[in-house]
Amino acid sequence: MLIKLSDLPFGERAVVREIRTSAHDLNCMGLRIGKELKMVTKQPIKGPVVVLLGELEIAMGLETAELIVVETGTDA
Amino acid sequence: MTEEKAKGNADLPEKGTTVLMLGNPNVGKSALFNRMTGANAIVSNYPGTTVDFTSGTFIEGGHTYTIIDVPGTYSLEPRDAAEEVAVRMLRDSPDATVMIVLDATKTDRGLYVALEVMERGMPCIVAVNMMDAAHEKKITVDIAELQRILGVPVVSTTATSGEGVRDLAEMLRKAKVADIGAIAQRLRGEEQERESVRGCGGCGGC
Ligand SMILES: Nc1nc2c(ncn2[C@@H]2O[C@H](COP(=O)(O)OP(=O)(O)OP(=O)(O)O)[C@@H](O)[C@H]2O)c(=O)[nH]1
Ligand SMILES: [Mg+2]
Repeated sequence: MLIKLSDLPFGERAVVREIRTSAHDLNCMGLRIGKELKMVTKQPIKGPVVVLLGELEIAMGLETAELIVVETGTDA
Repeated sequence: MTEEKAKGNADLPEKGTTVLMLGNPNVGKSALFNRMTGANAIVSNYPGTTVDFTSGTFIEGGHTYTIIDVPGTYSLEPRDAAEEVAVRMLRDSPDATVMIVLDATKTDRGLYVALEVMERGMPCIVAVNMMDAAHEKKITVDIAELQRILGVPVVSTTATSGEGVRDLAEMLRKAKVADIGAIAQRLRGEEQERESVRGCGGCGGC
């Protein structure tokens, strides 16, 4: 199922499928299409979103997370 | 004094080779820098910014190197003041050798800016630092394969213990301009025949 990264529940895993914002900024931080990630922290009100990619923890604004499409249930 | 300096400059290769240490934040650039330069480092402020950088010199194999510890950056498309200084430093020293420092536990992320640097056509050498941490986390980095793919010397180091730092200093003179096209081909597995020199283990030494 394709959802916005910002909608990925805490602790869930998903695979990055689409980046609708500056891909460069995310790519250089290690977040790329095809990568599996896990939601680590989601602050309730407009707070930053932190995801874990392997050994990397990446924090981003909620607006950025809303522009990343991830696929859940891939059993990756 | 000035006379002496001028004379010295005449028979010595000026300040030697400038080496820019570049890589993601927190990969151990400063730790490596301190290992290589010892005590003779100076901190300067990059003109027109609030960003400081450290430079120092060391002599290896009779050759003098001026080494600059560049602020950590994730890419060469700057997003903050420190990253901008990193990019400007590269631009300011077009003849420099770039020592790209990777964190062995996060090579994937570090290679992004590494390839951006390689695209610029400056001679490069790669230090894969934090090997101890990688070992602890059971992460293995195939140094020989990385070197084969990148076509520039790759040296593994642990700045905190000093392991590999000597090798890194020695390999500096073998820094090479990377061939981005060839790297892409190697990644696609399209090996070019004439690139593989027979009897060569791919040490990057030639
Ligand atoms: N385990 C281990 N720790 C290291 C190694 N090299 C550096 N460190 C530690 O990693 C941390 C960051 O090292 P620095 O040298 O400050 O990293 P840097 O690349 O200069 O960071 P920025 O200047 O922020 O870009 C420090 O706590 C170092 O002691 C290493 O090889 N192994
Ligand atoms: Mg530093």
